[in-house]
Amino acid sequence: MIEIRDLSKWYGNFQVLRNINEEIKQGQTVVVCGPSGSGKSTLLRCINGLEPFQEGEIIVDGVSVNDPSTNLYKLRTEIGMVFQRFELYPHMTALQNITLAPMKVRKKSKKEAEAKAMELLQRVGIPEKAHEYPANLSGGQQQRVAIARSLAMEPKIMMFDEPTSALDPEMIKEVLDVMIDLSKGGMTMIVVTHEMGFAREVADEIIFMDEGRIIERGTDISFFKNPKNPRTKDFLDKILL
Amino acid sequence: MRMFDAVIRNLPFLMGGFWITVKLTSFALLGGIPLGILVGLGRISKKKWVYYPVTFYVNLIRNIPLILVIFWFYFVMPIIIGHPLDPFPSAVISFIIFEATYFGEILRAGYQSVSKGQIEAGYSTGLNYIQTTRYILIPIAIRRMLPSMITQSIVTYQDTCLAFVIGLPEFVRRTTIVDNLEVRSIQLFGFVAILFLITCYISSVVSRRFEVKRERGY
Repeated sequence: MIEIRDLSKWYGNFQVLRNINEEIKQGQTVVVCGPSGSGKSTLLRCINGLEPFQEGEIIVDGVSVNDPSTNLYKLRTEIGMVFQRFELYPHMTALQNITLAPMKVRKKSKKEAEAKAMELLQRVGIPEKAHEYPANLSGGQQQRVAIARSLAMEPKIMMFDEPTSALDPEMIKEVLDVMIDLSKGGMTMIVVTHEMGFAREVADEIIFMDEGRIIERGTDISFFKNPKNPRTKDFLDKILL
Repeated sequence: MRMFDAVIRNLPFLMGGFWITVKLTSFALLGGIPLGILVGLGRISKKKWVYYPVTFYVNLIRNIPLILVIFWFYFVMPIIIGHPLDPFPSAVISFIIFEATYFGEILRAGYQSVSKGQIEAGYSTGLNYIQTTRYILIPIAIRRMLPSMITQSIVTYQDTCLAFVIGLPEFVRRTTIVDNLEVRSIQLFGFVAILFLITCYISSVVSRRFEVKRERGY
């Protein structure tokens, strides 16, 4: 579903990604962790073309992201993205946030888009908040609306960029539960997170990044028990306490 | 009613001038705000061939007094287009050119206040530049900048008096004409001041009611 080959990216002279190679198969959930500044978010942003890159290749569902002839707008409809700070449109209700892209991009009728949006709000557990503005929602509720907004485009892949880092502890679970549900439902997912409980439960692969490189990868629990790299061990000690 | 005898005698003529003022203000805003929306976009554009010309235009106009813009346009345009312009369309175009730079700068601040993430959220659902700009960037910026935009609109309304310099028979110009005949300066210009005061005050009260909407958090 996603193939990343020898991906390197620079900001000016500073190299943020170094020779990343990764393959994500349909239905897999890959968890990406690592210290801040290690290039995790940049990696996600390269996959949906929000950031250009200089070397290597990313192929999403058979389409090369950095091919100049690729229609990035079309590609992005296949890749949902959830942000750390939710990024809901503040001037629209939850329902309007969700229906905007299906109506404008997929040209769905308002009625059809709203029916789908209600179904998604039901799925993330807050149908009663459909007509609320983001300012009246808690962080956890906002993030669930943001997930529903991405799902409304019926993407083949969902990317999460530290989706619970800006949440109060009591709200983390409600968001993770939605994500676990999605993963178990067969969605292809890339999740940047330090929620190791989530990683243990659903990750097919865990990648550890440092200074723009993938320095460790494991399929599951083995990753936590015997990291090969001292940097990984150091980092895991910090987040697992 | 001796206090306002000259006003009452000439009321239809004076109100005709007031109507011209209102029309000029309306056209200036109907043209200036949409153009300002585009100017603001130009000012945040990453495309150099958009950014530099727009920035030059904005800096040029904002550093010239309005009265000179009105003058200049009225006297220079006939040389360029070959025939004289009527004062009213000439004034409307001058005001649109002038006000668009001010609205443009207000909206530039508004655009810059919109989080980059909200725009990226739009892009990541497949919206294109025009769609994210139209449905996300512009509406958020306008809502945030509404108080400044209303203030600027009131300033525009007051500034329309300056069109008298090119002979437009607007409110103040007509009052001057009446005053030349009646010699009742205090009551005539007092009437002009009161009418401006009332209309501006009403506008600012209305604008404060708009601000209540901001409680939604944008």
